[in-house]
Amino acid sequence: MRIPRLLIANGMFALLLWAGFYALVTVLTIGFGLAGRLTHSGWEVAAQLPRWYALFVGVALIREFMPMYIAHGRTRRRFAVDGLITVTLFAPFLAALVTLSYLLESVLYGLAGWPQALTRLHLFTEPTQLPLVFAEYLIEFAAWIPAGALMGAAFYRFRGNGLVVAIPAGALLIITSYAAMGVQPQVPFLFTWLSFDAPGTPLVTVTGGLGVFLAGLLLTWAIIRDIPLRNHVA
Amino acid sequence: MRIEVEDLVLRYGDVTALDGITLTLEEGKIYGLLGRNGSGKTSLLSVLAAFRRHTAGRVRVDGRPVFENPQVTSRISLIRDVGETVDIGTGEDVLYFAEELRPNWDGDYARALMDMFQINPKQTVKNMSKGQRSAMGIIVGLASRAPLTMFDESYLGLDAPARQLFYDQLLADYMAHPRTIIMSTHLIEEVSALFEEVVIIHRGRVVAHEERDALLAKGVSVTGPAAQVDSFTAGMRVLGSRSLGPTKSAMVYGELDDAQRRKAADAGLELGPIAMQDLFIHLTAEDGAAV
Repeated sequence: MRIPRLLIANGMFALLLWAGFYALVTVLTIGFGLAGRLTHSGWEVAAQLPRWYALFVGVALIREFMPMYIAHGRTRRRFAVDGLITVTLFAPFLAALVTLSYLLESVLYGLAGWPQALTRLHLFTEPTQLPLVFAEYLIEFAAWIPAGALMGAAFYRFRGNGLVVAIPAGALLIITSYAAMGVQPQVPFLFTWLSFDAPGTPLVTVTGGLGVFLAGLLLTWAIIRDIPLRNHVA
Repeated sequence: MRIEVEDLVLRYGDVTALDGITLTLEEGKIYGLLGRNGSGKTSLLSVLAAFRRHTAGRVRVDGRPVFENPQVTSRISLIRDVGETVDIGTGEDVLYFAEELRPNWDGDYARALMDMFQINPKQTVKNMSKGQRSAMGIIVGLASRAPLTMFDESYLGLDAPARQLFYDQLLADYMAHPRTIIMSTHLIEEVSALFEEVVIIHRGRVVAHEERDALLAKGVSVTGPAAQVDSFTAGMRVLGSRSLGPTKSAMVYGELDDAQRRKAADAGLELGPIAMQDLFIHLTAEDGAAV
Protein backbone atom coordinates (compact mmCIF):
# COMPACT_ATOMS: atom_id res chain seq x y z
CA MET A 1 0.00 0.00 0.00
CA ARG A 2 1.26 3.49 -0.85
CA ILE A 3 1.93 5.49 2.30
CA PRO A 4 0.79 9.10 1.81
CA ARG A 5 3.36 11.73 2.71
CA LEU A 6 0.52 13.31 4.65
CA LEU A 7 0.81 10.41 7.09
CA ILE A 8 4.60 10.30 7.09
CA ALA A 9 4.90 14.04 7.76
CA ASN A 10 2.31 14.00 10.55
CA GLY A 11 3.81 10.84 12.03
CA MET A 12 7.34 12.26 12.09
CA PHE A 13 6.13 15.51 13.65
CA ALA A 14 4.10 13.62 16.26
CA LEU A 15 7.12 11.47 17.11
CA LEU A 16 9.26 14.57 17.70
CA LEU A 17 6.53 16.16 19.84
CA TRP A 18 6.08 12.95 21.82
CA ALA A 19 9.82 12.67 22.53
CA GLY A 20 9.86 16.19 23.96
CA PHE A 21 6.60 15.72 25.85
CA TYR A 22 7.72 12.36 27.26
CA ALA A 23 10.93 13.92 28.53
CA LEU A 24 8.96 16.77 30.15
CA VAL A 25 6.45 14.45 31.83
CA THR A 26 9.26 12.21 33.09
CA VAL A 27 11.14 15.14 34.61
CA LEU A 28 7.97 16.39 36.32
CA THR A 29 7.12 12.89 37.52
CA ILE A 30 10.57 12.42 39.03
CA GLY A 31 10.30 15.83 40.65
CA PHE A 32 6.94 15.02 42.26
CA GLY A 33 8.22 11.58 43.23
CA LEU A 34 11.34 12.92 44.92
CA ALA A 35 9.16 15.46 46.73
CA GLY A 36 7.03 12.61 47.99
CA ARG A 37 3.89 13.99 46.37
CA LEU A 38 3.40 11.32 43.69
CA THR A 39 0.23 9.33 44.42
CA HIS A 40 -0.83 8.09 40.98
CA SER A 41 0.09 7.67 37.33
CA GLY A 42 1.49 10.84 35.80
CA TRP A 43 0.54 9.72 32.29
CA GLU A 44 -3.11 9.42 33.26
CA VAL A 45 -3.01 13.20 33.65
CA ALA A 46 -0.52 13.91 30.88
CA ALA A 47 -2.57 11.98 28.30
CA GLN A 48 -5.01 14.92 28.21
CA LEU A 49 -2.66 16.83 25.94
CA PRO A 50 -2.36 14.22 23.14
CA ARG A 51 -6.12 14.22 22.65
CA TRP A 52 -6.07 17.99 22.03
CA TYR A 53 -3.18 17.41 19.66
CA ALA A 54 -5.33 14.79 17.91
CA LEU A 55 -8.09 17.38 17.55
CA PHE A 56 -5.57 19.86 16.12
CA VAL A 57 -4.36 17.27 13.60
CA GLY A 58 -7.94 16.78 12.44
CA VAL A 59 -8.41 20.53 12.00
CA ALA A 60 -5.07 20.90 10.20
CA LEU A 61 -5.91 18.10 7.78
CA ILE A 62 -8.70 20.25 6.41
CA ARG A 63 -7.44 23.77 7.06
CA GLU A 64 -3.85 23.30 5.88
CA PHE A 65 -3.50 20.11 3.85
CA MET A 66 -6.77 19.92 1.91
CA PRO A 67 -6.25 23.29 0.12
CA MET A 68 -2.69 22.25 -0.71
CA TYR A 69 -3.85 18.93 -2.17
CA ILE A 70 -6.56 20.56 -4.29
CA ALA A 71 -4.20 23.34 -5.43
CA HIS A 72 -1.76 20.63 -6.52
CA GLY A 73 -4.43 19.12 -8.74
CA ARG A 74 -5.72 16.35 -6.49
CA THR A 75 -9.46 15.84 -6.37
CA ARG A 76 -11.37 16.14 -3.12
CA ARG A 77 -12.15 12.43 -3.44
CA ARG A 78 -8.47 11.54 -3.67
CA PHE A 79 -7.64 13.79 -0.74
CA ALA A 80 -10.38 12.04 1.25
CA VAL A 81 -8.78 8.66 0.51
CA ASP A 82 -5.35 9.91 1.61
CA GLY A 83 -6.95 11.54 4.64
CA LEU A 84 -8.76 8.31 5.53
CA ILE A 85 -5.53 6.30 5.32
CA THR A 86 -3.78 8.93 7.39
CA VAL A 87 -6.39 9.09 10.14
CA THR A 88 -6.82 5.31 10.20
CA LEU A 89 -3.10 4.77 10.77
CA PHE A 90 -2.31 7.92 12.72
CA ALA A 91 -4.84 7.22 15.50
CA PRO A 92 -3.26 3.83 16.40
CA PHE A 93 0.19 5.39 16.06
CA LEU A 94 -0.69 8.04 18.65
CA ALA A 95 -2.34 5.38 20.84
CA ALA A 96 0.83 3.29 20.60
CA LEU A 97 2.94 6.26 21.74
CA VAL A 98 0.70 6.80 24.78
CA THR A 99 0.75 3.05 25.54
CA LEU A 100 4.53 3.08 25.32
CA SER A 101 4.55 6.02 27.71
CA TYR A 102 2.49 4.05 30.27
CA LEU A 103 4.86 1.08 29.82
CA LEU A 104 7.99 3.20 30.37
CA GLU A 105 6.27 4.85 33.30
CA SER A 106 5.54 1.48 34.90
CA VAL A 107 9.24 0.61 34.63
CA LEU A 108 10.20 3.92 36.25
CA TYR A 109 7.56 3.62 39.00
CA GLY A 110 8.61 -0.01 39.62
CA LEU A 111 12.25 0.96 40.03
CA ALA A 112 11.40 3.90 42.29
CA GLY A 113 8.71 2.09 44.23
CA TRP A 114 6.04 4.68 43.46
CA PRO A 115 2.34 3.74 43.15
CA GLN A 116 1.15 3.81 39.52
CA ALA A 117 -2.45 4.08 40.64
CA LEU A 118 -5.38 5.27 38.48
CA THR A 119 -7.80 7.91 39.68
CA ARG A 120 -10.73 7.38 37.30
CA LEU A 121 -12.52 4.67 35.35
CA HIS A 122 -10.79 3.28 32.28
CA LEU A 123 -11.08 0.28 30.03
CA PHE A 124 -8.04 -0.94 31.98
CA THR A 125 -7.72 -1.34 35.72
CA GLU A 126 -3.91 -1.42 35.74
CA PRO A 127 -1.64 0.71 33.54
CA THR A 128 0.24 -2.47 32.70
CA GLN A 129 -2.77 -3.91 30.83
CA LEU A 130 -1.23 -2.64 27.63
CA PRO A 131 -3.74 -4.01 25.08
CA LEU A 132 -6.58 -2.30 26.97
CA VAL A 133 -4.57 0.90 27.38
CA PHE A 134 -3.97 0.87 23.63
CA ALA A 135 -7.66 0.15 22.92
CA GLU A 136 -8.90 3.01 25.08
CA TYR A 137 -6.62 5.60 23.56
CA LEU A 138 -7.19 4.26 20.06
CA ILE A 139 -10.95 4.74 20.45
CA GLU A 140 -10.35 8.14 22.00
CA PHE A 141 -8.10 9.41 19.21
CA ALA A 142 -10.37 7.82 16.59
CA ALA A 143 -13.07 10.17 17.88
CA TRP A 144 -10.99 13.31 18.49
CA ILE A 145 -9.28 13.39 15.07
CA PRO A 146 -12.52 13.11 13.03
CA ALA A 147 -14.14 15.61 15.41
CA GLY A 148 -11.31 18.04 14.60
CA ALA A 149 -11.65 17.34 10.88
CA LEU A 150 -15.38 18.00 11.09
CA MET A 151 -14.86 21.31 12.88
CA GLY A 152 -12.08 22.28 10.45
CA ALA A 153 -14.27 21.49 7.44
CA ALA A 154 -17.29 23.35 8.81
CA PHE A 155 -15.22 26.42 9.62
CA TYR A 156 -13.36 26.39 6.30
CA ARG A 157 -16.60 26.18 4.33
CA PHE A 158 -19.11 28.08 6.46
CA ARG A 159 -16.81 30.12 8.73
CA GLY A 160 -18.28 31.02 12.13
CA ASN A 161 -21.74 29.70 11.28
CA GLY A 162 -20.21 26.32 10.60
CA LEU A 163 -18.59 26.18 14.00
CA VAL A 164 -21.91 26.87 15.71
CA VAL A 165 -23.08 23.50 14.43
CA ALA A 166 -19.78 21.64 14.20
CA ILE A 167 -18.57 22.21 17.77
CA PRO A 168 -21.63 20.58 19.35
CA ALA A 169 -21.54 17.84 16.71
CA GLY A 170 -17.84 17.19 17.41
CA ALA A 171 -18.46 17.23 21.16
CA LEU A 172 -21.28 14.73 20.68
CA LEU A 173 -18.94 12.40 18.78
CA ILE A 174 -16.40 12.61 21.57
CA ILE A 175 -18.96 12.08 24.35
CA THR A 176 -20.39 9.09 22.47
CA SER A 177 -16.97 7.47 22.23
CA TYR A 178 -16.49 7.81 26.00
CA ALA A 179 -19.98 6.50 26.61
CA ALA A 180 -19.26 3.49 24.39
CA MET A 181 -16.23 2.71 26.52
CA GLY A 182 -17.98 3.45 29.81
CA VAL A 183 -15.06 5.75 30.53
CA GLN A 184 -15.30 9.06 32.33
CA PRO A 185 -14.24 11.95 30.08
CA GLN A 186 -11.30 13.88 31.45
CA VAL A 187 -11.43 17.19 29.71
CA PRO A 188 -10.84 20.29 31.83
CA PHE A 189 -13.88 22.58 32.02
CA LEU A 190 -15.81 20.33 29.65
CA PHE A 191 -17.93 17.28 30.25
CA THR A 192 -17.30 17.45 34.01
CA TRP A 193 -21.01 16.88 34.56
CA LEU A 194 -20.81 13.61 32.69
CA SER A 195 -20.09 10.31 34.36
CA PHE A 196 -20.20 6.89 32.79
CA ASP A 197 -19.70 4.62 35.75
CA ALA A 198 -20.75 1.41 34.05
CA PRO A 199 -18.07 -0.12 31.82
CA GLY A 200 -19.44 -0.86 28.38
CA THR A 201 -19.42 -4.36 26.97
CA PRO A 202 -16.65 -5.09 24.44
CA LEU A 203 -19.26 -5.19 21.66
CA VAL A 204 -20.67 -1.78 22.62
CA THR A 205 -17.17 -0.37 22.96
CA VAL A 206 -15.98 -1.59 19.56
CA THR A 207 -19.14 -0.77 17.61
CA GLY A 208 -19.54 2.56 19.39
CA GLY A 209 -15.92 3.55 18.76
CA LEU A 210 -16.06 2.46 15.13
CA GLY A 211 -19.41 4.16 14.65
CA VAL A 212 -18.11 7.46 16.00
CA PHE A 213 -15.02 7.21 13.79
CA LEU A 214 -17.08 6.56 10.66
CA ALA A 215 -19.74 9.13 11.52
CA GLY A 216 -17.11 11.84 12.00
CA LEU A 217 -15.43 11.05 8.71
CA LEU A 218 -18.70 10.78 6.78
CA LEU A 219 -19.92 14.13 8.09
CA THR A 220 -16.58 15.67 7.15
CA TRP A 221 -16.83 14.18 3.66
CA ALA A 222 -20.34 15.58 3.27
CA ILE A 223 -18.89 19.05 3.81
CA ILE A 224 -15.74 18.78 1.68
CA ARG A 225 -16.99 16.70 -1.27
CA ASP A 226 -17.51 19.84 -3.39
CA ILE A 227 -15.92 22.43 -1.12
CA PRO A 228 -14.59 25.56 -2.89
CA LEU A 229 -11.13 26.85 -2.02
CA ARG A 230 -11.28 30.26 -0.41
CA ASN A 231 -10.19 33.21 -2.51
CA HIS A 232 -8.67 34.99 0.46
CA VAL A 233 -6.53 34.05 3.39
CA ALA A 234 -8.73 33.29 6.39
CA MET B 1 -3.98 22.17 -22.92
CA ARG B 2 -6.92 23.56 -24.85
CA ILE B 3 -9.53 25.44 -22.87
CA GLU B 4 -13.16 25.78 -23.91
CA VAL B 5 -15.53 27.82 -21.81
CA GLU B 6 -19.14 28.29 -22.82
CA ASP B 7 -21.72 30.52 -21.13
CA LEU B 8 -19.84 30.19 -17.87
CA VAL B 9 -21.64 31.59 -14.86
CA LEU B 10 -20.34 31.71 -11.31
CA ARG B 11 -22.33 33.18 -8.46
CA TYR B 12 -21.40 33.77 -4.84
CA GLY B 13 -24.81 34.02 -3.27
CA ASP B 14 -26.42 37.09 -4.81
CA VAL B 15 -23.21 38.26 -6.47
CA THR B 16 -22.54 37.22 -10.05
CA ALA B 17 -18.78 36.96 -10.53
CA LEU B 18 -18.81 35.42 -14.01
CA ASP B 19 -21.70 36.36 -16.22
CA GLY B 20 -21.84 34.11 -19.27
CA ILE B 21 -18.21 33.92 -20.34
CA THR B 22 -17.49 32.15 -23.61
CA LEU B 23 -13.86 31.67 -24.50
CA THR B 24 -11.53 29.29 -26.32
CA LEU B 25 -7.82 29.27 -25.61
CA GLU B 26 -5.61 27.13 -27.82
CA GLU B 27 -2.80 25.16 -26.22
CA GLY B 28 0.85 26.14 -26.17
CA LYS B 29 0.57 29.91 -25.80
CA ILE B 30 1.14 32.50 -23.11
CA TYR B 31 -2.07 34.37 -22.35
CA GLY B 32 -2.53 37.56 -20.41
CA LEU B 33 -5.71 37.80 -18.38
CA LEU B 34 -6.46 41.42 -17.57
CA GLY B 35 -9.25 42.97 -15.60
CA ARG B 36 -9.91 45.47 -12.86
CA ASN B 37 -10.25 44.46 -9.23
CA GLY B 38 -13.37 42.36 -8.83
CA SER B 39 -13.74 41.81 -12.57
CA GLY B 40 -13.78 38.01 -12.18
CA LYS B 41 -10.17 37.07 -13.03
CA THR B 42 -9.59 34.99 -9.92
CA SER B 43 -13.04 33.43 -10.22
CA LEU B 44 -12.38 32.38 -13.81
CA LEU B 45 -8.98 30.89 -12.97
CA SER B 46 -10.43 29.15 -9.91
CA VAL B 47 -13.05 27.44 -12.04
CA LEU B 48 -10.45 26.43 -14.64
CA ALA B 49 -8.32 24.88 -11.88
CA ALA B 50 -11.31 23.16 -10.21
CA PHE B 51 -10.78 25.21 -7.06
CA ARG B 52 -14.52 25.76 -7.17
CA ARG B 53 -17.51 24.40 -9.07
CA HIS B 54 -19.18 26.76 -11.55
CA THR B 55 -22.85 27.64 -11.25
CA ALA B 56 -23.83 27.17 -14.90
CA GLY B 57 -22.31 26.76 -18.34
CA ARG B 58 -19.63 24.42 -19.60
CA VAL B 59 -15.90 24.19 -18.92
CA ARG B 60 -13.72 21.76 -20.84
CA VAL B 61 -9.96 21.35 -20.74
CA ASP B 62 -8.65 19.14 -23.54
CA GLY B 63 -12.26 18.27 -24.22
CA ARG B 64 -12.97 16.96 -20.72
CA PRO B 65 -14.83 18.43 -17.77
CA VAL B 66 -12.56 19.74 -15.03
CA PHE B 67 -14.23 19.62 -11.64
CA GLU B 68 -13.24 16.48 -9.69
CA ASN B 69 -11.65 14.98 -12.81
CA PRO B 70 -8.20 13.72 -11.74
CA GLN B 71 -7.03 13.11 -15.33
CA VAL B 72 -7.41 16.84 -15.94
CA THR B 73 -6.74 18.50 -12.60
CA SER B 74 -3.44 16.67 -12.13
CA ARG B 75 -2.19 18.55 -15.21
CA ILE B 76 -3.30 21.99 -14.04
CA SER B 77 -1.46 24.34 -11.71
CA LEU B 78 -2.90 27.59 -10.40
CA ILE B 79 -0.65 29.64 -8.17
CA ARG B 80 -2.47 32.33 -6.22
CA ASP B 81 -1.45 34.94 -3.73
CA VAL B 82 -3.42 33.00 -1.10
CA GLY B 83 -0.53 30.54 -0.99
CA GLU B 84 -2.28 27.17 -0.78
CA THR B 85 0.71 25.32 -2.18
CA VAL B 86 3.36 26.95 0.01
CA ASP B 87 1.89 27.59 3.46
CA ILE B 88 3.02 24.21 4.78
CA GLY B 89 6.04 24.22 7.06
CA THR B 90 9.43 25.11 5.62
CA GLY B 91 10.54 25.57 2.04
CA GLU B 92 11.80 21.99 2.09
CA ASP B 93 8.39 20.77 3.24
CA VAL B 94 6.78 22.59 0.31
CA LEU B 95 9.03 20.73 -2.12
CA TYR B 96 8.44 17.45 -0.25
CA PHE B 97 4.69 17.56 -0.85
CA ALA B 98 4.95 19.00 -4.38
CA GLU B 99 7.18 16.08 -5.33
CA GLU B 100 4.46 13.63 -4.30
CA LEU B 101 1.50 15.51 -5.70
CA ARG B 102 2.84 16.87 -8.99
CA PRO B 103 3.32 14.26 -11.75
CA ASN B 104 5.84 16.35 -13.77
CA TRP B 105 7.68 17.78 -10.76
CA ASP B 106 11.32 18.78 -11.40
CA GLY B 107 12.99 18.88 -7.99
CA ASP B 108 16.39 19.93 -9.33
CA TYR B 109 14.85 22.89 -11.09
CA ALA B 110 12.93 23.82 -7.96
CA ARG B 111 16.12 23.82 -5.88
CA ALA B 112 17.92 25.83 -8.55
CA LEU B 113 15.11 28.38 -8.48
CA MET B 114 15.33 28.56 -4.69
CA ASP B 115 18.99 29.47 -5.06
CA MET B 116 18.20 32.09 -7.71
CA PHE B 117 15.49 33.68 -5.55
CA GLN B 118 17.73 33.36 -2.49
CA ILE B 119 15.21 31.34 -0.50
CA ASN B 120 16.42 29.54 2.60
CA PRO B 121 14.84 26.08 2.35
CA LYS B 122 14.98 25.65 6.13
CA GLN B 123 12.90 28.75 6.80
CA THR B 124 9.20 28.43 7.65
CA VAL B 125 7.22 29.85 4.75
CA LYS B 126 4.74 31.68 6.96
CA ASN B 127 7.69 33.54 8.49
CA MET B 128 9.08 34.58 5.10
CA SER B 129 8.67 38.07 3.69
CA LYS B 130 5.84 38.74 1.24
CA GLY B 131 8.32 38.66 -1.63
CA GLN B 132 9.85 35.37 -0.52
CA ARG B 133 6.42 33.77 -0.18
CA SER B 134 5.57 34.97 -3.69
CA ALA B 135 8.84 33.49 -4.92
CA MET B 136 7.95 30.15 -3.29
CA GLY B 137 4.68 30.13 -5.22
CA ILE B 138 6.49 30.87 -8.46
CA ILE B 139 8.99 28.10 -7.78
CA VAL B 140 6.18 25.60 -7.25
CA GLY B 141 4.35 26.87 -10.34
CA LEU B 142 7.34 26.65 -12.64
CA ALA B 143 8.83 23.39 -11.31
CA SER B 144 5.42 21.65 -11.47
CA ARG B 145 5.68 21.83 -15.28
CA ALA B 146 1.91 21.48 -15.46
CA PRO B 147 0.60 21.51 -19.07
CA LEU B 148 -1.76 24.28 -17.97
CA THR B 149 0.04 26.67 -15.64
CA MET B 150 -1.70 29.76 -14.27
CA PHE B 151 -0.33 32.58 -12.14
CA ASP B 152 -2.91 34.80 -10.50
CA GLU B 153 -1.14 37.97 -9.37
CA SER B 154 1.20 35.61 -7.59
CA TYR B 155 4.30 37.71 -8.25
CA LEU B 156 3.12 41.08 -6.97
CA GLY B 157 5.12 40.72 -3.80
CA LEU B 158 8.41 40.45 -5.70
CA ASP B 159 10.73 43.40 -6.11
CA ALA B 160 11.66 44.52 -9.63
CA PRO B 161 14.84 42.38 -10.02
CA ALA B 162 13.00 39.30 -8.74
CA ARG B 163 10.10 39.94 -11.12
CA GLN B 164 12.56 40.20 -14.01
CA LEU B 165 14.12 36.93 -12.90
CA PHE B 166 10.65 35.37 -12.92
CA TYR B 167 9.87 36.63 -16.43
CA ASP B 168 13.23 35.34 -17.69
CA GLN B 169 12.74 31.93 -16.09
CA LEU B 170 9.17 31.71 -17.31
CA LEU B 171 10.20 32.36 -20.89
CA ALA B 172 13.21 30.05 -20.76
CA ASP B 173 11.22 27.21 -19.22
CA TYR B 174 8.32 27.79 -21.59
CA MET B 175 10.70 27.48 -24.55
CA ALA B 176 12.22 24.30 -23.12
CA HIS B 177 8.88 22.81 -22.00
CA PRO B 178 6.09 24.37 -24.08
CA ARG B 179 2.76 24.53 -22.28
CA THR B 180 -0.28 26.74 -21.90
CA ILE B 181 0.35 29.60 -19.51
CA ILE B 182 -2.15 32.14 -18.26
CA MET B 183 -0.97 35.15 -16.30
CA SER B 184 -3.35 37.46 -14.54
CA THR B 185 -1.77 40.77 -13.70
CA HIS B 186 -2.16 44.45 -12.97
CA LEU B 187 1.44 45.13 -14.07
CA ILE B 188 0.26 45.39 -17.63
CA GLU B 189 3.10 47.28 -19.26
CA GLU B 190 5.73 45.23 -17.48
CA VAL B 191 4.36 41.84 -18.47
CA SER B 192 2.51 42.45 -21.74
CA ALA B 193 5.56 41.72 -23.87
CA LEU B 194 5.30 38.10 -22.74
CA PHE B 195 1.74 37.65 -23.94
CA GLU B 196 0.82 36.08 -27.23
CA GLU B 197 -2.87 36.66 -26.66
CA VAL B 198 -4.73 38.91 -24.26
CA VAL B 199 -8.12 38.35 -22.64
CA ILE B 200 -9.73 41.32 -20.91
CA ILE B 201 -12.69 40.75 -18.67
CA HIS B 202 -14.89 43.32 -17.03
CA ARG B 203 -17.81 42.77 -14.71
CA GLY B 204 -17.67 39.03 -15.32
CA ARG B 205 -17.75 39.29 -19.10
CA VAL B 206 -15.10 39.09 -21.82
CA VAL B 207 -14.66 42.51 -23.42
CA ALA B 208 -11.64 41.63 -25.53
CA HIS B 209 -9.84 38.51 -26.65
CA GLU B 210 -7.21 39.20 -29.27
CA GLU B 211 -3.65 38.44 -30.22
CA ARG B 212 -1.49 40.96 -28.46
CA ASP B 213 -0.38 42.75 -31.63
CA ALA B 214 -3.92 42.81 -33.03
CA LEU B 215 -5.16 44.34 -29.81
CA LEU B 216 -2.44 46.96 -29.81
CA ALA B 217 -3.30 47.79 -33.42
CA LYS B 218 -6.73 48.91 -32.21
CA GLY B 219 -5.19 52.02 -30.81
CA VAL B 220 -2.91 54.66 -32.33
CA SER B 221 -0.99 57.52 -30.85
CA VAL B 222 -1.00 60.68 -32.92
CA THR B 223 1.82 63.14 -32.21
CA GLY B 224 2.56 66.52 -33.67
CA PRO B 225 1.69 70.21 -33.41
CA ALA B 226 -1.32 70.58 -31.12
CA ALA B 227 -3.55 72.29 -33.66
CA GLN B 228 -2.93 69.61 -36.32
CA VAL B 229 -3.49 66.83 -33.80
CA ASP B 230 -6.78 68.34 -32.68
CA SER B 231 -7.89 68.79 -36.25
CA PHE B 232 -6.94 65.24 -37.24
CA THR B 233 -8.55 63.58 -34.25
CA ALA B 234 -11.79 65.54 -34.42
CA GLY B 235 -14.64 63.05 -34.47
CA MET B 236 -12.40 60.18 -33.37
CA ARG B 237 -12.55 58.40 -30.04
CA VAL B 238 -9.70 59.97 -28.09
CA LEU B 239 -8.69 58.00 -25.01
CA GLY B 240 -6.37 60.66 -23.65
CA SER B 241 -3.74 63.19 -24.56
CA ARG B 242 -0.51 64.72 -23.31
CA SER B 243 1.04 68.04 -24.24
CA LEU B 244 4.61 69.26 -24.05
CA GLY B 245 4.94 72.86 -25.21
CA PRO B 246 3.45 73.11 -28.68
CA THR B 247 3.57 69.35 -29.19
CA LYS B 248 0.62 67.15 -28.37
CA SER B 249 0.19 63.40 -28.34
CA ALA B 250 -3.32 61.95 -28.48
CA MET B 251 -4.31 58.30 -28.06
CA VAL B 252 -7.03 57.30 -30.48
CA TYR B 253 -9.11 54.14 -30.25
CA GLY B 254 -9.84 52.42 -33.54
CA GLU B 255 -7.80 51.34 -36.53
CA LEU B 256 -6.85 53.98 -39.13
CA ASP B 257 -7.36 53.24 -42.80
CA ASP B 258 -4.83 54.09 -45.51
CA ALA B 259 -6.50 57.41 -46.34
CA GLN B 260 -6.34 58.52 -42.72
CA ARG B 261 -2.70 57.50 -42.47
CA ARG B 262 -1.86 59.50 -45.61
CA LYS B 263 -3.74 62.47 -44.21
CA ALA B 264 -1.74 62.24 -41.00
CA ALA B 265 1.54 62.08 -42.89
CA ASP B 266 0.56 65.08 -45.02
CA ALA B 267 -0.22 67.01 -41.81
CA GLY B 268 3.23 66.18 -40.42
CA LEU B 269 1.80 63.94 -37.72
CA GLU B 270 3.59 60.93 -36.36
CA LEU B 271 1.60 57.74 -35.79
CA GLY B 272 2.70 55.16 -33.24
CA PRO B 273 1.52 52.27 -31.11
CA ILE B 274 -0.56 52.83 -28.04
CA ALA B 275 0.28 51.44 -24.62
CA MET B 276 -1.70 48.32 -23.70
CA GLN B 277 -2.48 49.83 -20.33
CA ASP B 278 -4.25 52.76 -22.02
CA LEU B 279 -6.30 50.37 -24.10
CA PHE B 280 -7.12 48.38 -20.99
CA ILE B 281 -8.29 51.47 -19.14
CA HIS B 282 -10.51 52.39 -22.06
CA LEU B 283 -12.00 48.92 -22.45
CA THR B 284 -12.79 48.61 -18.78
CA ALA B 285 -14.09 52.12 -18.28
CA GLU B 286 -17.24 52.24 -16.20
CA ASP B 287 -19.34 53.76 -18.99
CA GLY B 288 -18.80 50.44 -20.76
CA ALA B 289 -17.21 49.53 -24.01
CA ALA B 290 -16.72 46.33 -25.90
CA VAL B 291 -14.69 45.19 -28.84
